[in-house]
Amino acid sequence: MNVLTVNHLSVTGKQHTIVNDISFQIQAGEWFALVGQSGSGKSMTASAIGQLLPPNLQATGEINYAGSDLLALRPSEMREIRGKRLSCIFQDYQGSFTPFLTIGRHFEEYQQRHLDLSKTARKQQAKQALVSVGLSEEMYTRYPVQLSGGQLQRVSIAIALLLKPDLLIADEPTTALDSVTSFKVLELLSRLQGETGCAILFITHDLRHVRKYADRIAVMKDGVIIETGNKDQILNHPKHAYTELLIQSSPSLRTMRLSAEGALR
Amino acid sequence: MEVAVARKRKNSSKRWKMALLFSMAALLFAGIVYTFLVLNHDPSFVKLTERLLPISPEHPLGTDHLGRDVLTRLLLGSQLTVGYGLAALFIAVIIGVPFGLLAGFKGGFADRIFMRIADVFLSFPDTLVAIVLSGLLGAGIENLLLAIVLVKWVSYSRLVRSTVLTERQKDYVMIAKINGLRSSRIMIKHIFPHVIGNVLVLASLDLGKIILLISALSYIGLGAQPPAPEWGAMLNDARPHFQSHPQLMIYPGLAIVFIVLMSNLLGDYFRDKFDVKKEVGN
Repeated sequence: MNVLTVNHLSVTGKQHTIVNDISFQIQAGEWFALVGQSGSGKSMTASAIGQLLPPNLQATGEINYAGSDLLALRPSEMREIRGKRLSCIFQDYQGSFTPFLTIGRHFEEYQQRHLDLSKTARKQQAKQALVSVGLSEEMYTRYPVQLSGGQLQRVSIAIALLLKPDLLIADEPTTALDSVTSFKVLELLSRLQGETGCAILFITHDLRHVRKYADRIAVMKDGVIIETGNKDQILNHPKHAYTELLIQSSPSLRTMRLSAEGALR
Repeated sequence: MEVAVARKRKNSSKRWKMALLFSMAALLFAGIVYTFLVLNHDPSFVKLTERLLPISPEHPLGTDHLGRDVLTRLLLGSQLTVGYGLAALFIAVIIGVPFGLLAGFKGGFADRIFMRIADVFLSFPDTLVAIVLSGLLGAGIENLLLAIVLVKWVSYSRLVRSTVLTERQKDYVMIAKINGLRSSRIMIKHIFPHVIGNVLVLASLDLGKIILLISALSYIGLGAQPPAPEWGAMLNDARPHFQSHPQLMIYPGLAIVFIVLMSNLLGDYFRDKFDVKKEVGN
């Protein structure tokens, strides 16, 4: 069953086309990776799904979610879907939090908007969410600046998954984290996906993050999806030269050693 | 790292400013206490037999050309000058801030319209607007107030607008949006608090300018009218006696310097406190 079907989506500015006629489907509960280098239009695709494009960009085509076209929804209808059915985590963990509100206040804001719970129940739920991402309950009263990058990204995951959305858009969530922390965050995402059964649209430029977790991969270049398929198929038998280049250029310790040997020879 | 930068700034040689600010505040407090506890003269009580008296226990700063107690007029004048200055500032902020919030947050057509209106208001020098308004509506402190509000609200709108424009592009606004919050909620809860510090800095720096403006225009007869003990008007009253009794001009002059300096120091203090890195426009 498809959670989200994107048909012939294009994102255009005044003079140029950023995303050009792309189509893909995301199935319920799968980890769908959208891979490509910077400027390939990955993030704009994600923004179009959330109706979050900057006002100077126009999206055309169809984004089908649960029988309705997200691009055609009115702002009030879109607000109902956002947060509850669809949520987001970003690369910039520090900027994802309003600096003068405590972590608890952030939870409160979204709980008050979508849930009808008592104050103690809200607090309880938020603290449980913090524990479920491996943080202590004390974080509830802390301010965003008091947390480390990895902790903040965990909190944003906890907030994003609080209302059990069907689809989580993760826009390069690990790019700004060091490799150990990003590994932990990915593990966490994968575990929570197993628990909540949400689909993840994972946007990244780095195939290393995709290798272990993704079910299916779409490779994007210059606003076009050039290849879509299962992880193994894409990684082991890339049809497109660019995909091969991406795989080649993704640094791993093993290949680096090989190329160093090559250079010595 | 940001914390370290802020701390470095605070420890710089700005201590004398704090000391000055505190001693001025103490002096002001003493003035207020004196006004309420000791003061027993009527600021408008004319007694021509006691005109131009020197300093005495009865009249700590002497009397003016109509025999009125100078200290009384100076202290009650502070309520007038500072009170009207604060009132003008308050109204300008009340009008300016919501406009700026709206223009910055809505963007697009509303913003463009707002910017053109702001340009129109900014193109008039404030003194000129005050003189023209007084000419049209008659001289008086209320019209002066109106003129000040008319020229000052724009700078608040523009400051707030620019703050909102930078803040609303940050990811947390996007996150708040994607979590389904309403625009009005995002504006009030997530963006507005960023604005407060900047507005406070600009307002405290503006207070001095507004007081100068009120005094200047009262001096040329466009603001407070004669019996009122406004400082600018007092300066004007003292003008004919400048050569024989210069102290009559020096007292209100010093009072204006005192308040303006204090407002500037307060503005500096707030700026350091809120660490406003942006340039605060005039």
